[in-house]
Amino acid sequence: MISRKSVARTVLAAAMLGALPHLADAQMSHQHASEAACEETVLRCASKVTPAFAPDGTLWLAWRAGGQISVASSKDQGKSFSAPVQVTRDRLNLDWGPDARPKLAIDAKGDIALAFSIFRDQAFNGQVLTTRSTDGGHSFDPPKPITANNESQRFEAIGFDPAGAVFAVWLDKRNRVPAQQRGEKYDGAGLFFASSKDGGATYSDARMAADNTCECCRLALAFDGAGHPVVAFRNIFDGGVRDHAIVTFTDLARSGELHRVSRDDWQIAACPHHGPSLTISPAGTYHVTWYTNGKARKGLFYARSRDGGKTFSDPLPIGELNRSPSRPQVIAGPQGLVMAWKEFDGQKTSINLMTSHDDGATWSKPTVVADTTDSSDHPLLVTDHRQTYLSWMTKADGYHFQAIEGEP
Amino acid sequence: MKRRFLAVLIVLATLPSALAAGEGAPKPFERGSWQKLLHAHAGHPTLVHFWGVTCGPCKVELPQLGRFMKDHPGIDVVTISADLVPNLPQATRSMLDSAGLASAENWIFGDGFAERLRFEIDPAWQGDIPRTMLIARDGTITTIEGSAEIADLNKWSDTQAAAIR
Repeated sequence: MISRKSVARTVLAAAMLGALPHLADAQMSHQHASEAACEETVLRCASKVTPAFAPDGTLWLAWRAGGQISVASSKDQGKSFSAPVQVTRDRLNLDWGPDARPKLAIDAKGDIALAFSIFRDQAFNGQVLTTRSTDGGHSFDPPKPITANNESQRFEAIGFDPAGAVFAVWLDKRNRVPAQQRGEKYDGAGLFFASSKDGGATYSDARMAADNTCECCRLALAFDGAGHPVVAFRNIFDGGVRDHAIVTFTDLARSGELHRVSRDDWQIAACPHHGPSLTISPAGTYHVTWYTNGKARKGLFYARSRDGGKTFSDPLPIGELNRSPSRPQVIAGPQGLVMAWKEFDGQKTSINLMTSHDDGATWSKPTVVADTTDSSDHPLLVTDHRQTYLSWMTKADGYHFQAIEGEP
Repeated sequence: MKRRFLAVLIVLATLPSALAAGEGAPKPFERGSWQKLLHAHAGHPTLVHFWGVTCGPCKVELPQLGRFMKDHPGIDVVTISADLVPNLPQATRSMLDSAGLASAENWIFGDGFAERLRFEIDPAWQGDIPRTMLIARDGTITTIEGSAEIADLNKWSDTQAAAIR
């Protein structure tokens, strides 16, 4: 039986804490059992690793380790890496949310745009910072806010469009205070976007694509065949239903109509910390994977749209429900579609994978391609347009970068 | 009360755990903690609340829960911060303090392998917070996903009070 209140305990514990402040501090820091294997800034100590291929086939990684963001590149598909370059210098409070990670994109010239979020105050208000490298990743500009607005921002996504402009999209709480001043309730966050014509040195004024979207899930960004940004995200539909939506932008400055990906009917006032994945195949088909715990369905799902995101196929369930399937990723690679997700059996986390060679109409049986017995990052998929790879950071076994079998 | 005081002294004799058990300081929630928690509260109506310092809906709900605890001394109130955050204990503690939950039984995820911790609690839970589990005297668990309605908590509390009569 646990005692709820004990004056004796309060007084004694307070006395001990007062007498031994440094010991108390040591205990505090030890209470945090890290997701990372070590505390340095090297890749081995990373808790989040994001891969991206440059148009010339160079693999770039951006990671969060030792409280800093660093990058390195590989010319041999991840077998060896260049010396890491630290992007951040200051001791920043990096966003450590389950769906937060540094993002990077590389253009045809080899210039790198990079973005990440920090918590900028004690109330955990977020801020999206961006930087760029114009010397092939040897150095980065000092990171600066993506927008002058000072309300909370998180969950940025960035990418180069085919014309070489950077498109950025993020979740932004700037409409919260005005709504509250009008005496209105404000749910979630706005989906805001901006673009940069100078490789990420400066961004256009922020615009809003949708308001009252779910505030705590990552966004999925892809470009359609015409180079229009397409963003999939967890929205808040009427009645507090946190189902997925998708928007195809008309151009870098104009948002498009919002369409619903699925009617899962997940009515919840909570942070699912679990955003969607989106890829667009050469046929122009949108492929989306997501997690829901709705009344209509629960678990991981996949659906595709062949009309530019207006309507989607019936959701296809993914993974074994009794193994806590999570973090579904999908990518259109040179040999077809690849989907990867996590499952957990009570002891180990495995990465399950399946492929489709008919644009998502049918899928192979899932196979386990990797596993680990401690914490791990989301499984991510990346392609250099010759081969698709799994990128997966694990605490116990380090960083995995492996070619998906069945591909050349 | 005497036994309780003795227990306090024993706890204080082992320094690191004593500091962790300081009033309001969250205890590390580790592998096996869930079963220990269930065992420790067996036979007592217990409200277990999962939350995190960056979760918007949690910030709204936490003070309501603080009032609920004050109004319902017969319910064991347990909070578990399910965020994995560097330097989190201080932030967690200050948020619990201002919500009036300093004297609740407070825990914080203390294992980086959060998937395993969640699996021990509920294999179907993917980490969405807030989340509240109402554990009745007979061990029956009712899970509320997302923000709980205080009216529902009051109703559950009333049924628990009625169960002893």
